[in-house]
Amino acid sequence: MFKTAITEMFGVKYPVICGAMMWLCKPAMCAAVSNAGGIGNLTAANYETEDDFRAAIQETRRLTDKPFFVAITLLPSVRITSEHHKMYVKVCAEERVAGIEFSGTPLDKAAGMEAVELLKKAGVKMFHKVGALRHAQHAEKIGFDGIYAAGIEEGGHPLSDDVTTMVLTPRIAESVKIPVVSVGGIADGRGLAAALSLGAEGVMMASRFIATKECEVHDNIKQELIRRQEFDTVIYGKSIGLQGRGLKSKVLEEVLAIEARNGGFEELIPLLSGQKVKQAWETGDVHYAPLMVGQSIGLIRDIPTCQELLDRMAKEAIEQTQRTAKLCGV
Amino acid sequence: MKTRITEMVGIKYPFILSGMSWISVPKMVAAVANAGGLGILATGPMNAAQTREAIREIRSMTDKPFGANASLMFPGAAENAKVLLEEKVPVINFALGKGDWIVKEAHKYGGKVFATVVNVKHAKRAQDFGTDAVIATGQEAAAHGEEVTSLVLIPHLAENLKIPVIAAGGFADGRGIAAALALGAEGIAMGTRLMTTKESPLHDNFKKLTLEKDVYDTLFSKRFDGILCRVMKTDAAQKAIKKGLNWPAAFFNSQDIAKQLNLPYIKLFLGVLASGYSNSKQLAYLANAFKAIRVATENGDFKEGVLPVGQVQGLIHDIPTVAELFERIAKETKAAQAKVNAALD
Repeated sequence: MFKTAITEMFGVKYPVICGAMMWLCKPAMCAAVSNAGGIGNLTAANYETEDDFRAAIQETRRLTDKPFFVAITLLPSVRITSEHHKMYVKVCAEERVAGIEFSGTPLDKAAGMEAVELLKKAGVKMFHKVGALRHAQHAEKIGFDGIYAAGIEEGGHPLSDDVTTMVLTPRIAESVKIPVVSVGGIADGRGLAAALSLGAEGVMMASRFIATKECEVHDNIKQELIRRQEFDTVIYGKSIGLQGRGLKSKVLEEVLAIEARNGGFEELIPLLSGQKVKQAWETGDVHYAPLMVGQSIGLIRDIPTCQELLDRMAKEAIEQTQRTAKLCGV
Repeated sequence: MKTRITEMVGIKYPFILSGMSWISVPKMVAAVANAGGLGILATGPMNAAQTREAIREIRSMTDKPFGANASLMFPGAAENAKVLLEEKVPVINFALGKGDWIVKEAHKYGGKVFATVVNVKHAKRAQDFGTDAVIATGQEAAAHGEEVTSLVLIPHLAENLKIPVIAAGGFADGRGIAAALALGAEGIAMGTRLMTTKESPLHDNFKKLTLEKDVYDTLFSKRFDGILCRVMKTDAAQKAIKKGLNWPAAFFNSQDIAKQLNLPYIKLFLGVLASGYSNSKQLAYLANAFKAIRVATENGDFKEGVLPVGQVQGLIHDIPTVAELFERIAKETKAAQAKVNAALD
């Protein structure tokens, strides 16, 4: 039995949360994680209209009666505008979802304090994914309920402060009063036990959940994550001010080559398009588009169900903890 | 605390002082040994005679086990390693090269050998030729880590090796130690944390600066000494990295090194040239870095000095004695562990 600030806050069995993944975190996957005792993720940017987004929340609810998170990335893109952000917040409040994973711009700056108040009133728990102490302190100040402390090893867009989870988790945990969840580099029970030791109240994983039976992605991708090791990811996008970490591939080699000769935004955009990522997930071609996975892929060995994965993580975490307790004479 | 490392070496705590040039000097190694950890003497800046003298100095200050390193890429490292073997140093830590011959000789007198590694491939190779433990350097470490971070590297090594894993990079307190143990490590090497203690010979200027700097105040670049190296973010470090390799300075600084190592300069120079262009370039880089690190640690020079530090500097908030530090960390580790136990109850 796990008892942390996260399991208590949401009434869940395991302090393990699925992180946002564009195109992958949809109702079935989200519900699978929640039904397994963790907290699933419904990534808002998959839906462009209010009706579609609301329908996805309702569909998830048909599949699970357990709590789940909605993920909202507060960065303007070509497809998802600040109008979308406001719509997502409004629908989440109306639907009273359990929690929101915010990333990008602080919510008060992107949508005003009224957005924060609206969610508070609706009882929606707000978590901000940060890579720096100052951002965590800001989120705490405006009334957020928790922090995702994301280390440089994470897939997606790690903050350019480049601090690793091992150092960032304790640094943030010692400086804020709200619960901290570790993100980046975690794929099993050892990582969970380590994160709890560092002062986290739970962990968030994304890459690990791709290699599960329920994830709706081409089987090639799952097999590739088993084959690839922890050194098979690469940081790109520094030259355009938005760094990302993805699986080493032909397309990222090309991206890095363009960056090396200061190719600029226009040349990069076609290679980084979100639509291509969607196709890569569906067709299983790992070289077609950047697949934003983290270093934790080096710890992925199999394709379990979400239930098997979370039960095993819990068991491992308990075993590791018993072993550690013995080593340090507790 | 009891792990395969404490048992193997015969120490009280599985805490290890990394071998840092101008920091891990005899006085510091002895302080760590006397406090119950394992100090590793840095032999990089020394020649064979100085190495022998340093070992004797350590032995005059402690009867506890200690170690010494040999960074096999440096000029004169093999000669130093031979001295370590002759002196029957209890633990030899080799890095940046193949230490199979060191293992063979050390095992004859019951010595133990640790290899510093950054990936599973090197670790397995070291295990295959009889190395007793590996020190795994994560990206967050001071100086020479690679891209993979401790959180991912340690469990991957631990599940692939039979020999124990010592975690290095990102550790300064009991929370980190408990995490490292949970990931499968059986020892923890600390550089930046131990550098910021009363006994450490690091210049006060930099001890104080370490307390001010946060987790993100480091630079990680190939342009300081030719391989990925993490240093404290200061104006001098930014300048050095922006400039990259300065050949004339390397030429000048290498004469300094020859003097310090007591090598005839022409021998060092020809030796370097004979090693090929890429190695010469690497050693030229190192010659400049050597100087910058020395003036930081010894003189506290903010203008020219560059100090390798880990991201963990942001978790360091005081300057205790080594004994105070170890006792506190052991207590904190138990507390962190007890908290996890309670969460899993």
